This record gives sequence, C-alpha cells and structure tokens, in this order.
Amino acid sequence: MNGARQKQSAPRERHQRLDGRPFSPYSWLLVFIPFFAVFLCLNLYWLAGAVLATAAVWATWRRRSTTRGTAPLAVFSVAGGLLIFFIVLPIVNLLFTTEPSRIVRTALDPAVRSAIFITLSAACIATVISLLFGVPLGYLLARERFAGKAVVEGIVDMPVVIPHTIAGIALLFVFGRAGILGAPLKARLDIQLSDSYWGIVLAMLFVGLPFVVNHCRDGFLKVDPRMEYVARSLGATRLGAFFRVTIPLTWRALLSGAILTWARAISEFGSVAIIAYYPKTINTLLFEWYNFFGYTYTKPLATLLLLIALAIFIGLRAIAAPKRVEH
Amino acid sequence: MIQLDKVTRVWHEFAIRDVTLQVNEGEYLVIVGPTGAGKTLLLELLLGIHHPDTGRILIDGADVTGLPPEKRGIGMVYQDYLLFPHLDVSRNLAFGLRYRRCSGEDARRRVREVAELLGISSLLHRYPYTLSGGEKQRVAIGRALVTEPRILLLDEPLSALDRGTASRLRNELKLLHAAKKLTVVHVTHDLSEARQMGGPIALVKDGRLDAFGPADDLLRRPPTVFAANFFGAVNLYKAEVQKTEGGMRVAAGPVAAECGFMEGAPYLMVHPDEVVVLPPSTGGANRLRGEVTALTDEGNYVAVQLRVAGLPAPLTAYVSRHFVRSQMLALGSDVTADVERAIHILRE
Repeated sequence: MNGARQKQSAPRERHQRLDGRPFSPYSWLLVFIPFFAVFLCLNLYWLAGAVLATAAVWATWRRRSTTRGTAPLAVFSVAGGLLIFFIVLPIVNLLFTTEPSRIVRTALDPAVRSAIFITLSAACIATVISLLFGVPLGYLLARERFAGKAVVEGIVDMPVVIPHTIAGIALLFVFGRAGILGAPLKARLDIQLSDSYWGIVLAMLFVGLPFVVNHCRDGFLKVDPRMEYVARSLGATRLGAFFRVTIPLTWRALLSGAILTWARAISEFGSVAIIAYYPKTINTLLFEWYNFFGYTYTKPLATLLLLIALAIFIGLRAIAAPKRVEH
Repeated sequence: MIQLDKVTRVWHEFAIRDVTLQVNEGEYLVIVGPTGAGKTLLLELLLGIHHPDTGRILIDGADVTGLPPEKRGIGMVYQDYLLFPHLDVSRNLAFGLRYRRCSGEDARRRVREVAELLGISSLLHRYPYTLSGGEKQRVAIGRALVTEPRILLLDEPLSALDRGTASRLRNELKLLHAAKKLTVVHVTHDLSEARQMGGPIALVKDGRLDAFGPADDLLRRPPTVFAANFFGAVNLYKAEVQKTEGGMRVAAGPVAAECGFMEGAPYLMVHPDEVVVLPPSTGGANRLRGEVTALTDEGNYVAVQLRVAGLPAPLTAYVSRHFVRSQMLALGSDVTADVERAIHILRE
C-alpha cells in the first residue's frame, strides 16, 4: 500500500519547477504548438489537426499519475482538441496566408483608417456608457432583493438572445428619424441618431450592455456585504465604502465585463448596419467590399482587423487576469 | 450606555421582536442563543446596518434609531475577520482614521499604538492572506479600536479560531475591555465563552429576549425551560400547580416547593450539586428514596443517577469520589436524596 503510493507520487516530482511549483501538465502542449504552426503554413491542415489531437491525448496521459480512469479523459481531450482546432484554424489560416505588404497597403487607405477609428472610438464610448449605467444596476442586482428582480435580470439578458438585425429594426422605430424618441429629438433639439456616429454608439450599447451588467453583478456578489458594513462602522459612507472597498476588490470583474462589451461592440454588424449604415464601421466596410469586390480583395482588411482585435483583446485580458492570491 | 426600546425588525427569515434591553457604560454584555435566533441581526441593528421597523435605539440617551453606521461611532468585528484584502495590515488599521480627520504622523502613531497593544507590530506590512486566523482577528479588533469607538460589537469573534488561540484572545479581550473602558456587546453561541467573559448574559430565542441578567444568576436560576436547557440543566421536571391553604405549591411527583405568582406551565429544576445524598431513611419533605442506576466519573466529581418512584425522569446528584468510596455506593445501592435546598422553579 505504502509502496504503491510512493510509486504514484514519484513522477510528480519530475514536474517540479525550480521555485517548487509543479509544471502544469498541459505545458506539454507548448511543445506541439510549433509543429502545429508549421503544418498550417504548409497547408497540411489534416496533419496540424492530428498534432493537436495527439497533444491533447499526450497531456491527458501525463496526468495519469493523479487521475484514475484515463480513458474518458482522453476522449474528452480529443473532443476538446477538435473544438480548439475549429476555432484556431480559421484565425491562424487568415493570419499566416495574407501577405504583410497587402495588409500595410490596406492600413494606409483613408477609408479603412476612418472606419477603424469610428469603430474603436464608438465601441469605447459605448463601453464607458455601459459601465456608467451597468455598474449601479449590477450592484443593485447583487445586493438587494426586490420584487421583479428575476424579470429585471431577464430583461438585461434580452439583447443577447434577440437577433441583432431585429434589434436594429426595433431601435430604428424608437430612435430613427420617425421614431417615437427620434422624431421629437430631431424636431426639438436637431439631434439625429440614425445614420450618424451616435447611432452606431447606440446599437453597440444595446448589444453590449448585458455583459457589463452581468459581470458587475457576479463581481459584486463575490464581495461579502459585511465587508462594506465594517467599512461603514469605521466611518465610511455607503458611497465611500463602495469606492474604497468594493471597487478595488471587483475592478477585474468590471474590466473583464467591459472587455466583453467592447469586443461585442466592435464586432457588431447587424443592428449597426440597419440604424447607421453611414458613417461606415469596419464591419460595414468589410461587408461592402465583400459584396462589390469579392473575398480575395477583402482578405487583407479582414486580417488587419483581426490583428487589431486580437492585440487589444490579449492585452486587456492580461491586465484583467486574476493574481494568484487567495482572498 | 445602549438602550433598546421595544425594537422590532423582521428581515427575510430573520427577526428581532419586541426586544427591550439596556447595556450600561463599560459593561461587557454577552448575547447567546441558538443559530438563527437573530443575534447577528440584533448587532446589525445596533450598528445601524438595519433600522428597526418599530421601537427606538438610544446611545447615551440620544436617539440614534435613524442614524447610519458611519455616524454612530461603533466598532464592529465579525467572526470571519473581513479584513480588506487589498490593503496591508497598517492600511487596514488606518482605514477609519481618514474619517476622524487624522492623518500623517498622528495617524501613524495611533496605528503603532494599537498594533503594540495587540501585539501585531511585526505584521504591519503583511497582507491579510499571509496571516493566521488569530493574527487576522487581532488586526480586525485593532482596526475597530484605532478610531476609538465607545462601543465595540463582536460577532462570534473567537468561533473560527483554534482553542488555544481563542482562549488567549478571550483573556486579551477582557483586559482590553477593562483598560479602554469600552462598552462591549459580544455575540456567541459558546456557553463557556459567555460564562468566562463575566458580564451579564442575554439569551435570545426566535428573535425575543428569553432571559437576561448577570451570568451567575442566570446560570444558577434560569427563568425559563429554554434557558435552563440552553445552559445545560440536568434535572428538569414538568410540574403541576397545587392549591394549598397558604397559597400555591408546584410539585413534580415527590418533589415540591411553595411558590407565589406563577405564569405559564411550571417546571422544577433540581441542582445536582446541591443534592445531599444520605443513607437510606424515610420521611421528610423533599427527601427522596431511590436506587442508584448509574455512577459516572466526571473527573472532579461523580455523577450519581437515581431512580426515584413517582419522579418522571431519573435524578442526578454530584458527589465527591471520597463520598462514593466511604459510603460504598454501587449500582443498586439504596439511598435517600435530600433535594430541599436544590429546587428551583421556572416556567415554560
């Protein structure tokens, strides 16, 4: 019995790093990634997929010292590996098969640059607005019990499930030139939302809000309300406790909500195209080029946008990644 | 001085109903009660997190019923410490000082003083997640004390600690209370902790104040069956009221006592350490003839269990080990127990 246990624990010690922490068993995947990339570049897609599946099985096998019943895990790993392959293949393919010079030339096109600026800035504005309104709502949903709370939570999730073209039409009937709010705004204040920059912001806000609200709520739920009580017993007002205790403990959750909202906003096409086809966002521009010039012409633009989105997404994720500290 | 005047608060599944209570200046009140009785809700009413549905709360004579916590000047310490994890110990301690218009050198001095008082000076630059339970609780107490509150509320402050740490901290709490002349309200479900703090005890049951008084008094003469059971009463018998020429008598089988006014169903309690065990004899009021059915060595004394005819449950008496030996007590021995001076009457 004792001997068997020693035998089991022996392979684990081989995976110790210098600082004493064990290697992740999945770090073996790193070995396979270069092969994977090389095969992709050579257009040997089936080989790349095989490498990924092998890596998954290999990683599972490395874990066998701690986990009993490896067979189902191997099946899960292959299934998971195929899924990852399905996500990674189109993206990596696009990145590796576009000539860099064509990407640069596309980036210098004034129409492209204006579309990128409009999309990114409108997404930022939509994200800031969604934070301003979403953080208080998330806090209420996390802290208070009230009649109709389930209904409110359902309403918050609605923009996720409504097809976005329908959202665009619905927004148009409210904020369009003849809409129930759009018409008086145009008549009284001469503000036009449809086919304007602010129409884009509006559509982005509509589809992005749920992510901020839900992430805020989940973040606030993780902070014990009694932590705020203690702060208040020490003299902080409710707002003071919120800003000195709750926000410092939840900013990562708020930031990851904001990232998702922002990512949702820059990828929004359906509702934006309906409420504000002009000025053109990157998605509208891409759609137009694809319609008029075909898909090979669109490829460098798509790659450029992919690079921008990936860079910002990875950067923000790195900031929002939780520190390995137990609270 | 804290006064609660008929305070009622119903909040989801918790409730405080019609509680009237007074804690004097410098007193150490311990609130005990089973889980879910509303002890924490009572503390949060005092703190100002909850506001009473009806009734008033007064501190030093001033009505604070509607005041928020930040205007009450009351310190709060929870069982699970709730240190601010994003701040190190010194910044946790200094948290409340900015609201006391205290900063710079003055603030650092007060943090140092409190840290010295609690023996946590060496931890000032550590983060909460690196501290042990006892250290965390010291920091939590220190954080509350830095702002020099007149009243300190403790919600099960020792329950999460191991026994040794808890008893050390318990003694320190007593010393702190004496040194700082604090008024303390300490909630616990641990009876021995309540007894050792030495102050009055309030027993809460289903949101109501079931019993309230000095610890010795309450443990010796619990007013209700619930209190008696909660404090670990041994011989408790349901009794009947009998009318006599002189007045009223409460009796449970052969055990009986005179009493005055009685509300609710009566019970009789026989203190096992006041029972006098005698050689078998007959006659005399409250002298019970019985047979020994169990002898349990409890360390410092021996618990003798007697079966007494007419009594609904066995009677337990505590005697010394010497007594057992000299009287040659054994299972089946025939003895008489004099309970005359051991009887206490209580109500349902």
